[in-house]
Amino acid sequence: MTIASFHSPSRRSAIGRLASLRVQPTIVLSIAIVALMIAWSITPGLFTNHDPINGVPAHKLLAPSAENWFGTDHLGRDLYTRVVYGTSSSVSSALIAVVIGVVAGGLIGLLAGFFGGWVDIVFARMVDVLLAIPKFLLAVIVVTAIGFDTTNAAIATGVSAVGLFARVMRSEVIKTRQATFVESSFLLGGSRWHILWRHVFPNASRSVLPLAVLQFGDSILVIAGLAFLGYGDPPPASDWGLLISIGKDYLKWPWLVYAPAFVTIATVLSVNRISRWLRKTD
Amino acid sequence: MSKAYLNYAAKRLIQAAVVILLAYVFTFVVVSILPGDPITNVLNNPQNGFTPDEINEIITAQGLDKPIPVQLWTALSGFLTGDLGLSMRTNRPVATLIAEVLPSTLVLASAGLVVALLLAAVIAYGTQFLPKRFGQGLLRGFPSLFLSVPNFVIGLVLIHLFGFQLGIFRVIEPNSFWATLFAAVALGIPISAQIAEVLIANLDHESGQEYAAVARGRGLGQMRLFTKHLLKPSSLPVITVIALTIGELLGGSLITETVFGRTGLGSLVQRSVSSQDLPVLQAVVSLAAVVFVLVNLIADLAYPLLDPRVKLIGPSARRPATADEGFTDLSKAVTP
Amino acid sequence: MTDRPRFPSVSRRRLLIASSALATAALLATAGLSPALSADSPNNGGDITFLIDSLGDTWIPNNSAISSFQGHIWGHVTDKLLYVDAEGEVTPWIAERWEQNDNATEFTLHLKNGVTFSDGTPLDASAVVANLDIWYAGRKAEGINPIGLFPKTYDRAEAVDAATVKVFFKKPTLGFIPTLGYHGSILISPKTIAAPANQQADLSKTSGSGPYVVESWKEGDYVKLVKRKDYNWGPAAVGHTGPAFLDSITYKLVSEPSVRVSSVLSGQADVAYNASPQELESLKEEGFTVATPRYLGFVNGWAINTKLPPYDDVKVRQALQAGINRQEIIDTVYTPDWKLATSFIQSNVPGATDQSGLLAYNPDKAAKLLDEAGWVKGADGIRTKDGKPLLLTLHSNPYLATSKSVDELIAQQLGKIGWKVSIRAYDVVTFGQKVKYGSLAVPAYEVTRSFIDAGTVASILTNANNGENWFALDESDKALNELRDKIAGAGSAETRKPLLDELQKYVLEQGYFIPRTQIVQRIYAQSPKLKGEVYNGVAYASYYTATKSE
Repeated sequence: MTIASFHSPSRRSAIGRLASLRVQPTIVLSIAIVALMIAWSITPGLFTNHDPINGVPAHKLLAPSAENWFGTDHLGRDLYTRVVYGTSSSVSSALIAVVIGVVAGGLIGLLAGFFGGWVDIVFARMVDVLLAIPKFLLAVIVVTAIGFDTTNAAIATGVSAVGLFARVMRSEVIKTRQATFVESSFLLGGSRWHILWRHVFPNASRSVLPLAVLQFGDSILVIAGLAFLGYGDPPPASDWGLLISIGKDYLKWPWLVYAPAFVTIATVLSVNRISRWLRKTD
Repeated sequence: MSKAYLNYAAKRLIQAAVVILLAYVFTFVVVSILPGDPITNVLNNPQNGFTPDEINEIITAQGLDKPIPVQLWTALSGFLTGDLGLSMRTNRPVATLIAEVLPSTLVLASAGLVVALLLAAVIAYGTQFLPKRFGQGLLRGFPSLFLSVPNFVIGLVLIHLFGFQLGIFRVIEPNSFWATLFAAVALGIPISAQIAEVLIANLDHESGQEYAAVARGRGLGQMRLFTKHLLKPSSLPVITVIALTIGELLGGSLITETVFGRTGLGSLVQRSVSSQDLPVLQAVVSLAAVVFVLVNLIADLAYPLLDPRVKLIGPSARRPATADEGFTDLSKAVTP
Repeated sequence: MTDRPRFPSVSRRRLLIASSALATAALLATAGLSPALSADSPNNGGDITFLIDSLGDTWIPNNSAISSFQGHIWGHVTDKLLYVDAEGEVTPWIAERWEQNDNATEFTLHLKNGVTFSDGTPLDASAVVANLDIWYAGRKAEGINPIGLFPKTYDRAEAVDAATVKVFFKKPTLGFIPTLGYHGSILISPKTIAAPANQQADLSKTSGSGPYVVESWKEGDYVKLVKRKDYNWGPAAVGHTGPAFLDSITYKLVSEPSVRVSSVLSGQADVAYNASPQELESLKEEGFTVATPRYLGFVNGWAINTKLPPYDDVKVRQALQAGINRQEIIDTVYTPDWKLATSFIQSNVPGATDQSGLLAYNPDKAAKLLDEAGWVKGADGIRTKDGKPLLLTLHSNPYLATSKSVDELIAQQLGKIGWKVSIRAYDVVTFGQKVKYGSLAVPAYEVTRSFIDAGTVASILTNANNGENWFALDESDKALNELRDKIAGAGSAETRKPLLDELQKYVLEQGYFIPRTQIVQRIYAQSPKLKGEVYNGVAYASYYTATKSE
């Protein structure tokens, strides 16, 4: 969660902004990594010939090699294949979490900020509670309540992000509402819904986008954390957090931890870079 | 302290109390969604050989068949009078359980915070004074790297490297000095990233300001400049970030304690979660909310004392940019 | 003992126990029992650390005695009336001898003299009565559960004199005597029993009569036991009755299996409980002791729900029986320390017979059976009948760490024959709620279960007399009912043995029970410096007789 970094506005001059538009190589690399992850999650079969679920028991715990890029696990399954096939679930669950956070939080913030008054007060208390409970603790409690599987872990992660999005959305809405062009639209007799839809919503969502991208990376980590504690899908699912969690039981064969951890870190890092870049070029 | 300020403070306190109470009720409602509790779970395990009649008799005797609102009311009235109840899993008072594990978590969380602050300061200092071409860009990349590494991975790597390979600490004695230090590093690294990002942003801003240029002109030493002129004004938003990260320290301790095998609040939550020990979960969530609310209150009070430029005219004046009055001060902007 | 056992069926442990029993007999015959003898042992003293994956939940004795975790501590802090060894043999302990009437409704126990609890209370007849009462009834309103496996036919117990207890049952209860050696039947001081539940939950306030007492403990962290110097009433069967040799035992919670093992490897601890099977080979190579004692009970396997199609078809069940490569499970998930299942009860249970022929891997036979039953292989390799795929949903048993890996491997094996296997792994909580014998979503219930006496097995399988109806047969299988009734009515072990053999054969032939492997629910990896521990009938390690060399 980087509320902090998100809130520090870019202080670059116009020239600086132009310069940053010239896309840096790290951004290209980040986009390439994210594109690869998306490809892995859509058509995993194109990237590997091995079976993610059925291994060759005799080939268990092999070290990384040309044949098995990330080595094999305790049941003789190719770890690279398991990572590739686990991408879909890891990425889509993070997506679910972000959508829940953005939609529910955004709606609460939008309504609270736009209508003010008692709507604002009621929503404010709700959001206060969500913000006062540590995010990971909140996710753990929610996933306990709705049952342990990856989709539920994603929902829990989304719920834990609702407070953040509600708060940011609300302050953006208030800022926009007070802006001159919106006030003049009020004076010209535009309907509330029209103003909300035409002016407030697009303006506010512009600053929510980079935050949502950032939250996507963060959700991958939170969901991996939940999977690590055993609150996600059980094996033979191969979510990245679960792979790391299984790997920790076999520390003598460290690639079982390092390979999925490396993929997780590379993905989250890329997503964070992209979020940063979006914020600067906005 | 002006009268207006005292009024404001009183309002804040009431809001805080409401938030804590709601957190307690929220936990109850959420955990009650899924049926099951530690007692019923034990009875349902076929290895224990209870007959259906026995199971029903015990459940009735324990009052577990009462409607949820009645159970909530019983729990809530206890909570309001300071009684946290009995843990259903261990049959021991919740207050005793928490008192047993709290010191360990406090040590870990404060050590984690110290590590985070030191790391953040070192990184921030580096970004200001290292040559642009050499190292600075790398250092500026550190916070995003730190934020991208799952903290259980950091923990596993530290244990593998320093515990087993180098033998610096005994993994089965997680409360020893070195084990605590490495646990604090695992906990502190992601948090240092957030503090460093704010610190760097503010240092960049402040160093562009006139007075820093003047100071530099006077030929002050770089370190002195950093500490005397830059760190202090820049630390204002940092204090706010620290207040916000307290929750993450508690949340992060859940995983860090599990990885390092420490007995603390986090591992208590984990054990309680796996058996749905509601009274303990409610107490821990409320405690976290209490800590969060208090720390933020303190941060707010410290704010005007640290920056003479902030005047106590009214609450909204203290928090420019994205002030959100409706959402109390649990939420605040960190932009200077 | 470095020589290998000459007979494959005789384990090293069996030899050890046999030899220690001989030694005891010799001692008894010549010098009698003398506690001073053990005090002179050169290996007296020492402290050990036992790394365990959990310390369970509550410490109320009644609620925690049979826990896989707390049972270890109770085994050192408390004694039992009788001792049951790894082979199921019942021998005296606190009860020196016992008698019963002809129809097994009245039992008389004669207690050892001079036994005291650690709080000073004598362990006499009235203390035994207090224990029997609370095992049977608990104090339900207070949260003290009865001991679930204690005979429900219990009526009352009377103290005839300080050393004699008479126990009455409403119905014949042959299982009573073995129950007294079971892990649930731990003797606790009457003062502790009288204390309220939340005080009993504080382990340091509980007194037993065992060779160790609790020095200190912390919830979810550790329990430290120190030796009781005046202890002098150990079970003769373990070959030692005086005070324990080791000064202290610390049970320390370390949840990661790899951390437990590495700590023992690096000498930071002495015993790692529940090591991952994959690490056992390397432990042995480095000279560490690996113990995989088997408890007396069922093997790890599935009780099949015969109400749920397609498992109502005997051919499908038999195909399942033949379609599992049990040797591959041992080779892949386990190590050679695990034994192939030879029946649906463990091979060390008195009365178990070798039915390996029925459990051979034969994929061709399985395929043929499925063809005959009308399940035809489709293009995707999955068999279908009337448009429905051949499905098997497995619910991994959360009480057995390796269960998920075995499920995954079996899913691969059955997949080759044309089964579509899906695996659900629930946590302990959800498993308890959703996964039950014979319930609609559960075609195969994974059993991990110990029992006291093979005679009780038959009655669990059907629903007569509060039976658990494992195969959802109710009373429909006449052959099974007949065997059950004959076994219950058998007067001696000799008449019972052929009946038990027939039962095992029938249940396996019908594919009611699909064994996977013999179960090792407790795995111990131990430093070579520590020697002389004893494993009882429920596979708990006792360090009462153990010594540690420096």
